[in-house]
Amino acid sequence: MAVQVPKAEDTEMNMTPMIDIVFQLIIFFMLQLKFKEIDRQIDSNLPKDRGLAATPTQPPDFQKIKIKVFRREFDKAETEQYTLVKIDNTHEFQLPKAWKGYNDEPKDRQNEYDATIAKIEAVVKSKWNAQPDKSLVKGEIVAPPPKGGFVPHGDIMRMLDVFLVTGLTDVVFEGAAAPLTNAERAAAMGGGEG
Amino acid sequence: MSRRNLPETEEVKMNMTPMIDMTFLLVVFFMLTIDLTTKEFLPVSLPFATQGEENKDRDPDHKRFIINLEAGGVVEIRKQRYDLSKENPVEQDRAVQDLKRLLKNFVEERRAAGEEVYEPDGACKVPVLIHADRAAHWKYVQWIMQVAADPSIKIYRLQFSVKRPPNMKEADAPAGGA
Repeated sequence: MAVQVPKAEDTEMNMTPMIDIVFQLIIFFMLQLKFKEIDRQIDSNLPKDRGLAATPTQPPDFQKIKIKVFRREFDKAETEQYTLVKIDNTHEFQLPKAWKGYNDEPKDRQNEYDATIAKIEAVVKSKWNAQPDKSLVKGEIVAPPPKGGFVPHGDIMRMLDVFLVTGLTDVVFEGAAAPLTNAERAAAMGGGEG
Repeated sequence: MSRRNLPETEEVKMNMTPMIDMTFLLVVFFMLTIDLTTKEFLPVSLPFATQGEENKDRDPDHKRFIINLEAGGVVEIRKQRYDLSKENPVEQDRAVQDLKRLLKNFVEERRAAGEEVYEPDGACKVPVLIHADRAAHWKYVQWIMQVAADPSIKIYRLQFSVKRPPNMKEADAPAGGA
């Protein structure tokens, strides 16, 4: 018996909802996207042999280039505070007052900051160049409490950077941090080697 | 003037296929570039350094522990917050001890999952990334380092988040750096 088969129709899927969803997905992932290129890091190691020993044991023949950092006027208003940098007790530099970082400062202040950093770099470099055996030279960043503890993290990183620019990769952080009442824990901490 | 013979109006249909192809490609692109670990970072103003290097370690099995430090001295790890800036030494001590416990738990978690966390010499393989605000007082960073190097944790590998100064010359870039 002949059955009349309905004519094959041109069936078309409705694409609209799918496209809607796909665009939503695109927007979601786009908003998640973060450009990571500004995010960099400096690797460093805490000294394994020494750990938390209060008095670092070091062979006496190590030559140290020592950068001491203090926060001056740290008990006053933020606008009065500045970081003082001493290199081997022979050179002294003052970082600009109430430095907030490049993005938040006018151009002349940025230049002032850069100029100071350049001077510090020059001093460290000359000291480094004066050393006959570079493998015996250690950099040291000292932040003596309590004034050292108030130095902004950014300034310490910049000092570490000065050492790294010079080529000195063996850097130790010194500075007793005594956050705890416990006498044992209040004992000074060692530091990190960059 | 004779009337021009206009073509019959047809039902115009756009061919959707190329657009959908491209759209799917875009979705795949954004899916692959998305990095969920950045979710652990707090938006802090990072310190500037010319010698910072890009992290090339994409090995997810050895993900580092990320410690955020805000300018005011508040530490945040995986949404848990510890205020180190308390003046009261007892409260301060408690915050530091909590931090220590948390870090220890992280290491133990890894070890329980069957991962070789420790080197033969006893040092922890997993680094700690200190993602600190540049205005944070250095003493807080020192405490974090102190906690990491505690004999019960033994994390000696540290990383500091930095970014490049905006006016940096390319010549100052680290030799091997990107």
